[in-house]
Amino acid sequence: MQAAIRLRDVHKHYGRRDVLAGVSLDVPRGGRLGLIGPAASGKSVICKLVCGLEQPDRGEIETLGESVVGKREVQLGALRRRIGMLFQNYALFDFLSVEENVAFPLVQRGGMTPEAIAERVATRLRAVGLAGSEHKLTGELSGGMRKRVGIARATVADAELVIYDEPTAGLDPVTTQKIYDLLAADQQRTGATVLAVSSDVVALAKFVDEIAFLYHGHILYRGPAATIGDAPDPLVRQFVRGELEGPLRMEEQRA
Amino acid sequence: MKGPRKLIEGIGGGLVDTSRAAIELWLVYVGTIAGIIRGRRGGRPRGEIVRQMYSVGNRSVVFIIVTLGFIGMVMTYEACLQLQRVGIADYSQVGSQYIKLIVSDFGATLTGLMLATRVGAGIAAEIGSMKVTEQVDALRMSGVLPIDYLIVPRFIASVVMTNMLTTLGGTVMYAAGGLTAQYSFGVNPSLFYDLHLLRPRHLALMLIKATSYGAAIPVVAGFCGLRARGSSDGVGWATTAAVIGSSFAVIVLDFVISAGALFLFGGDL
Repeated sequence: MQAAIRLRDVHKHYGRRDVLAGVSLDVPRGGRLGLIGPAASGKSVICKLVCGLEQPDRGEIETLGESVVGKREVQLGALRRRIGMLFQNYALFDFLSVEENVAFPLVQRGGMTPEAIAERVATRLRAVGLAGSEHKLTGELSGGMRKRVGIARATVADAELVIYDEPTAGLDPVTTQKIYDLLAADQQRTGATVLAVSSDVVALAKFVDEIAFLYHGHILYRGPAATIGDAPDPLVRQFVRGELEGPLRMEEQRA
Repeated sequence: MKGPRKLIEGIGGGLVDTSRAAIELWLVYVGTIAGIIRGRRGGRPRGEIVRQMYSVGNRSVVFIIVTLGFIGMVMTYEACLQLQRVGIADYSQVGSQYIKLIVSDFGATLTGLMLATRVGAGIAAEIGSMKVTEQVDALRMSGVLPIDYLIVPRFIASVVMTNMLTTLGGTVMYAAGGLTAQYSFGVNPSLFYDLHLLRPRHLALMLIKATSYGAAIPVVAGFCGLRARGSSDGVGWATTAAVIGSSFAVIVLDFVISAGALFLFGGDL
């Protein structure tokens, strides 16, 4: 089966720091992969590399069957319209209303009437529990509401690949579960491939099929999400269980 | 050995960074021209040019009128005062030389410098804050080209409005100078408002300068905004760099265009 995401020996550095030092990763079409790791281990960088928002220093990256390496912005537009992305800090357009933010990918993609877009946006906002907030500006929303607007925008176009960068960071446990239920229902409906980055490993494990652990620029472990707590690697076990004693240093545990 | 090596590394690194920045600035300029040719296919929002014209033009009108009006008064006052001090009480040439200077240089350049501070800072802060909050990445994820969406409308608006503000500012400067000459030195208005030294080439020079400044300011400011990194300190850096860069661009362009005109027309300019 063709992979929706394929990374081969990907290297990326910022300044003198090697963030990724030869990452290879495959996510099959329709698969759900969770990516975990200590803070600043390069999880968000992988998300951005997959959609061509950043370019690797070397290595190969194929997304939805297309290489994204060395491509110019103009060449990546069509591919990016097939991807939905929830950014870590929401990245909502502060000059647009909630409704306009969610409609943005559909408007840019074209091919839909304004009425059809409005209907789709209303359905999406109802699904994330934001019906009635259509005309609010994003500055008037709480952090949790912004996150839900971001999720609505990422999923409104029924993208073939959806990337969630910390979909539930800063949310209470009940909202977290609701959000993951929503994401799971969406994925079942569309059959989209999912790459999710989260520090909340317990909630993430219920949503994804597999989890990969990124550490010091490498994928140290990859295995079924259900048994991540019993992973053979002591580093992974310590990280997942949040134990203070173990091979993982304290500063690296702050995810 | 460590000291000289570090120094060479520092100089080399600085040169590489400067060259990279120059190439990126050039690419933003080329991208802007390409964006104008692409039209709305690059994702430029409908009505954005008009909104930007209002932002660049209407919101700068008072600032330009007040600033250029005062500069006009000071310049005329100083010119007449100097003539008086050296014992030449003939002010017949002040007005006609003054309008030539305003049209061929000061009107456009002073307007450009004022817009570099007000408009340049605004563009860099707006785009910079969008960059550090990943809104620019969100645009890219929707298949929108950030240069087409953010810089092209500001570029077109700035070119049009810089020309209009230059005309308005120059007129105010001339009028304010005439009033100062009349009420401070008793110069007859019909003598001051004498346009006989003005030639079409002076007007052409004004249009070329205003258009160049109007084009340079949003490109330099947009480039600085797109280079913002980190958080609010990155936006602050971008804003400062945009004001310095845009003002510098106006002065350098003034020199280059004036030198070119001098080369073409010689002492007849």
